[in-house]
Amino acid sequence: MPGLRDKFAIAGVGATAQGTLPGSTPITLAVEAFKRALDDSGLRKQDIDGLLTMPGTTSPEGSLNYLRLGEALGIDPRYTGSMTLGGGTAGALIQNAVAAINAGMATTVACVFGDTAKTGGSRFSRASGWGDSWGIWGMFAAAANSAIAASRHMALYGTQSRHLAEVAVACRYHASLNPDAVMRKPITIEDHQNSRWVVEPFHLLDCCLISDGGVCVIVTSAERAKDLRQPLVTISGMGQAYTTRNNEREDWWYVPHQKNALDAAYKMAGVGPADIKVAQLYDNFTMSVLLWLEHAGFCGVGEAGGFVEGGRIQLGGALPVNTAGGNLSESYMEGWLHVVEGVRQMRGACGPRQVADAEVCLVTGRGMTLNCSNAMILKKG
Amino acid sequence: MSTEYSKPLPELNDFNRPFWEACRNNRLELQKCSDCSHIRYPVSHVCPECLSEAHEWVKVSGRGTVWSSIVFHQVYNKAFAADVPYNVAMIQLDEGPRMISNVVGVPPSQVKVGDVVEVIFDAVTPEVSIPRFRPVR
Repeated sequence: MPGLRDKFAIAGVGATAQGTLPGSTPITLAVEAFKRALDDSGLRKQDIDGLLTMPGTTSPEGSLNYLRLGEALGIDPRYTGSMTLGGGTAGALIQNAVAAINAGMATTVACVFGDTAKTGGSRFSRASGWGDSWGIWGMFAAAANSAIAASRHMALYGTQSRHLAEVAVACRYHASLNPDAVMRKPITIEDHQNSRWVVEPFHLLDCCLISDGGVCVIVTSAERAKDLRQPLVTISGMGQAYTTRNNEREDWWYVPHQKNALDAAYKMAGVGPADIKVAQLYDNFTMSVLLWLEHAGFCGVGEAGGFVEGGRIQLGGALPVNTAGGNLSESYMEGWLHVVEGVRQMRGACGPRQVADAEVCLVTGRGMTLNCSNAMILKKG
Repeated sequence: MSTEYSKPLPELNDFNRPFWEACRNNRLELQKCSDCSHIRYPVSHVCPECLSEAHEWVKVSGRGTVWSSIVFHQVYNKAFAADVPYNVAMIQLDEGPRMISNVVGVPPSQVKVGDVVEVIFDAVTPEVSIPRFRPVR
């Protein structure tokens, strides 16, 4: 896809308040995010001719979310649909928007998510397993799947809980600089070590938040975005990859598809890990960041524990990661806010958490246990 | 005094019934593709390698190694409240497939990746015996 490099842009981003929002519904939050993204971009509602949505985990209409939201927004898109790839959805919808615009099916696509997982009853404690539920063996909740990955990574490569703590501490430090973040009180590695076990090897502070909120990202051509309200941020590279074979694949735990998604994004953008000075890496659990660092080539296989030591992924370190706080400390918007932060970093709009001189930002998404992944290279226009 | 078993149980159907009937008879049996010989798990009506539906149920050794091991401290289902902390492990079976199960008979945190284990059957109801694993001494 090198022909698509920098041809498309994220022209607007909008996020609602985050955290505990009683009285909200997934639709009220999605609508609010949409309005904020319109305002951010300078576009009008009637300019939006594509609508891609991710149903909230608490959205009663499920995969018909696009119909429900389209009605609420009062629009008749030329192109629409909903996808449910968990934390892999935001990036996938944005990339699908690029493909649709490139194919002439739409000109300006709003990608939208709203959820009330905090106040509306989260479903993240369910057991996996299509046939016989893994709940038969007491394996419940999203944390368990990433804990399986962490346990094996630790056994094979000597990765330690203190390495996971580095991720939690970095995200919290960044959140402390973000007035919109939910968890802003800085933590130490010892705080992490002293937090209660959830699913060993994960402590409480290895786990993301559960949040209410909404996010909208508007995709259009770079040509059009140049004339809009914000500094140009292009989609320079993008890629998706999936492992749906689950346990039939012996390295499933290592999420091997993530490397394929990253390689596709690097190739399209014509960049490599040495060009990346800031990254927003999907962090449902701390372990996920270590796996992204290895797959993205910032370090070798099994080396991410050592890579993150000494605050190297904090602002001021070699590679600031999740500069708004991530799923761990900003808010759990299933990766949507990673895109927003990537865009804001490329606009130079991040104030005290701005990474100086960063020309490109890597943004990754990962979802549905260990199955779905995508990567994007955002570029300052 | 008997108490009702309140944890999740398999929902038996035509596809998984042979697996659970074998477990009830203290045998671990998996599906072997009649066309490509691939041994598969979890139970599926179709071979994920060659898409053949023809298969036979074959007894496997029940031996394997711990591929990954985690310990539940948080109670996600109240039926497990008295069990925490308890082990959940991914077991690499000698015949190829991997399965989620429990390693029992040792403190849950002492289960290590690479430990050699063998299957045992835990008769939790008259109809269902759950395959779990214990270390091979």
